[in-house]
Amino acid sequence: MTDLATPSKVTFAEPASSPEGRASRAGRTVRRVRSTVASGLKHAGLVAFGFVMLYPLLWMLASSVKPNALIFREPGLIPTDVDLSNYTDGWSALLHPFSRYLLNSAIVVLGCVLGNLVSCSLAAYAFARLKFRGRNFWFAIMLMTIMLPIHVIIVPQYVMFSTLEWINTFLPLIVPKLLATDAFFIFLMVQFFRGIPRELDEAARIDGAGHLRIYWQIMMPLAVPALATTAIFTFIWAWNDFFSQLIFLTKPDMYTVPIALRTFVDSTGESSWGALFAMSIVSLIPVFLVFLFGQKYLVKGIATTGIK
Amino acid sequence: MSSVIQEVASTRRAAGERRKGDGRMAALFLAPWFAGLFLITAGPMAASLYLSFTDYDLLSSPTWVGLDNYVRMFEDPRLIQSLKVTFTYVFVSVPLQLAAALALALVLDKGMRGLAVYRSVYYLPSLLGGSVAIAILWRQIFGADGLVNQVLAFFGIEGTGWVSHPDYALNTLIILNVWTFGAPMVIFLAGLRQIPRMYYEAASIDGAGRLRQFWSITVPMLTPIVFFNLVLQLINAFQNFTQAFVVSGGNGGPADSTLLYTLYLYRKGFADLDMGYASAMAWFLLLIIGGMTLVNFLASKYWVHYDD
Amino acid sequence: MRTSINQRGRRGAAVAAGAAATALILSACGGDSGAGGGGDVEAQDCPCEIRFAWWGSDERHAATQEIIDAFEAENPDITVVPDFTDWDGYWNKLSTAVAAGDTPDVMTQEERYVSDYATRGVLADLGGLDIDTSKIDGSILAGGQIDGTQYALPTGINAYAMVANPAVFEEAGVDLPDDTTWTWEDYVEIADEVSKGAGDGVWGTQDYGFNEAGLNILARQKGESLWTPDGELGVSEETVAEFFQTSLDLMHGGGQPDATRTIEYQHAGPEGSLVGTNVGGMSSFWSNQLGALSEASGEDIQLLRYPGESEFERTGMYYKPAMFYSVSASTEYPDAAAKFVDFLLNSEEAAKINLTDRGLPANTDMRDVIADELTDADQQVAEFMADLSDEIVDASTVPPNGSAEMQDIMERVNTEVIFERMTPQEAAEMFVKEVGAAIAG
Repeated sequence: MTDLATPSKVTFAEPASSPEGRASRAGRTVRRVRSTVASGLKHAGLVAFGFVMLYPLLWMLASSVKPNALIFREPGLIPTDVDLSNYTDGWSALLHPFSRYLLNSAIVVLGCVLGNLVSCSLAAYAFARLKFRGRNFWFAIMLMTIMLPIHVIIVPQYVMFSTLEWINTFLPLIVPKLLATDAFFIFLMVQFFRGIPRELDEAARIDGAGHLRIYWQIMMPLAVPALATTAIFTFIWAWNDFFSQLIFLTKPDMYTVPIALRTFVDSTGESSWGALFAMSIVSLIPVFLVFLFGQKYLVKGIATTGIK
Repeated sequence: MSSVIQEVASTRRAAGERRKGDGRMAALFLAPWFAGLFLITAGPMAASLYLSFTDYDLLSSPTWVGLDNYVRMFEDPRLIQSLKVTFTYVFVSVPLQLAAALALALVLDKGMRGLAVYRSVYYLPSLLGGSVAIAILWRQIFGADGLVNQVLAFFGIEGTGWVSHPDYALNTLIILNVWTFGAPMVIFLAGLRQIPRMYYEAASIDGAGRLRQFWSITVPMLTPIVFFNLVLQLINAFQNFTQAFVVSGGNGGPADSTLLYTLYLYRKGFADLDMGYASAMAWFLLLIIGGMTLVNFLASKYWVHYDD
Repeated sequence: MRTSINQRGRRGAAVAAGAAATALILSACGGDSGAGGGGDVEAQDCPCEIRFAWWGSDERHAATQEIIDAFEAENPDITVVPDFTDWDGYWNKLSTAVAAGDTPDVMTQEERYVSDYATRGVLADLGGLDIDTSKIDGSILAGGQIDGTQYALPTGINAYAMVANPAVFEEAGVDLPDDTTWTWEDYVEIADEVSKGAGDGVWGTQDYGFNEAGLNILARQKGESLWTPDGELGVSEETVAEFFQTSLDLMHGGGQPDATRTIEYQHAGPEGSLVGTNVGGMSSFWSNQLGALSEASGEDIQLLRYPGESEFERTGMYYKPAMFYSVSASTEYPDAAAKFVDFLLNSEEAAKINLTDRGLPANTDMRDVIADELTDADQQVAEFMADLSDEIVDASTVPPNGSAEMQDIMERVNTEVIFERMTPQEAAEMFVKEVGAAIAG
């Protein structure tokens, strides 16, 4: 109907202006030198720290190009000999080429991301912005649902999904997300929604907007960082979730990446460590890309989205 | 879809009614969550509560034993050991992890070259957190002949096998948990960006310095997110399982020194086929986490700032 | 106010739905209880689909799929659906599926769990099915019998043995022991000598104290056994204490690494073990792991009899059924399942694909069939196993319900010993107490 935001509100959606312009003229050169040194030190610190954080990945990368037998005999960071056979062998070691498992994981993960974005944000809007009886009670119940370890829930869940004949489909993995069972993200979004100034929806309400419009046209654009967080985390967690995928997917053609990775090692017999590392690296690539690409939404959120 | 439109229309008409409460709207927004709660979550939870009062080996029917499982818990020295381990783990690693996450989020929030890369690199360990590869990697770093000891030897200090010594193994798990601070860091980053720039601009105009702005704007505006991270990391840490499982080779060793509560519960349920006892343990854990969360929420009134 | 009534109605419906879901789950949790003996399931004719579950790593998965393909080619009306994962995941998945009444038609079992599954009515009586067991030695078949009923058929056999790395012995200037005569004392001495001779970072042996199989051998040498036929712990406290004392002596004498390294090597599997990485002279392993050890080390690793075989009143070594094949008591297709198990055990095709991956074939004819196809390491295993046959006195008793906890107890108790937080005597007391509790509950 009408514009939901007045022009004055739009200013708050502008990108942050840099505060550096306020430096006094006299001290500018000195400060610039000092800040260059400071920033140099900062970068040096961040790089050094980054190496500590990266070490495991580098080590895994190094191990993935070593022959299986040398992984334990020569555990150092620099491989004496680069051999890519772990990648080629690992890719085709299981019943299906590894791409099959990547594809299955992608289907599960996309379903989960979509489900969590829609259902959790709806529920979060209710908890953050609506007044209704029993709000605190239901909120407590919601939190309670994430306090019970999955290991005692999984057997009854299996029984339930088995009755529905959902075992060995992606439904037990995706449908719960469509129904907002990931309370973690509801809570996350509630906290973010509560950080959005009330004046914005008050103004919209005066203009006659209903809650669905406020949700869709004000909250969602302003909560892009929260939505990005939800999407990224859901992606990564669903991508790495071993336990429930192991239990609910029984046929190899439905297996996902975590299950496939686990079949390279067996504590009672031989293990193909090299193939495990190689395929772990392969399966990290999509997650890393999602993060690298997605993280800018975490921080650009308000600044670029604006309000129309 | 059409019912949604009708809801919108009727809500608009009943604009006056809405002032009294948003029950109907809430029901609409919460519909997916309610469906998930009652159709997917509640049943298995209730079933596990029931099973906690039974002797249940998964392979045959449960038999009612009343409070037996709960009574047994108090006579179980390993359970008490697992509580000790878990409390140490939670209360040491969560504050450290959150402090690391917040500090890095503050550093990485400001405009800087290569931010995306730093953020992604710092997040990487969280992607690896539960991988089987961590087991070997951790030995490579914290083992008797590992990286840490090589560095210590350079300074003339003789280390021990940190990862396999009952007195130190838990510390390496704590380090592992702190090291995977990526998730709370990302949430902090998103939270920092959620703070409306207009507040900073207004403060600048009033002549407040950066430090002042940090304490009077950033800190209070970030408290809901700090609170969220605290609550969630506590809940998660109490249920942490995968890392301990992977690093200890599945049994919480050496000598139960890394026997996290959920790991013990898992072993009881699936390895020892004592799911009744595991269910009782789970509900006891729910009480502990629930109590902890309640305290958190009560205390939050004194330090968490909401804009609404 | 209409709103709240409406809402209450909805909430009532929701609660009812939740309650219904709960009731459904609970009634199904005992789903398999009536299935004992398979009496209440009506057998169906094929064409049909049966599910076969096993654990392992990629090589076994690929080989097993080949066997399935061969079986399906011979039996076009039966489809076998594979269901595989690693050891830990396998038991989660299997117990969950059983709880929901969704047991795989054919599954792999292991001695630590077979009694639990059999006595709770999950496994079918194989005696009533058409599976040829005539080529399997009676004492080995007995490993799959509980209270006289054949619930499980051994896939093959392994022996728990000492392995030696000849390269390390040579480096240390020590001769390989004569395994038919060596005593426990010799074992400790030789290990110490290898440690001394080979220098820093190389040890004589890797601690055996984490695995109950070694204890079982010592117990049997002394006329005891780990388990008694009526499901009790059969090993005396003295024997247990002696077992841990030997390990402690080795650590003190330098024959085996310090406690922290011992644990690190223990967790590294065959590939990362002392022998596998060429920094240790000896180690205890199951015979089927010889291939992995030889491959990892690049050396010609040797199998040795356990020490003490001629020291006491009798020998202690035994054949352990590597794994078992079992059929679900509630399968709709018992005949198809039986046909598949029969194929796994008795067809030359399956044997040639499987080789020794599930132990040296239990079917003695198949050992000849695969003899020419074996790798050097597996050839050695086959000869070693054949040599043992005259020396083995009797089969080891089937472990009772709850015995799956044994491994965990062993590991904890041994850790207490090597970190010297307990004397071997105290450790033995703790062991007897905890095992007693595990098999009682």
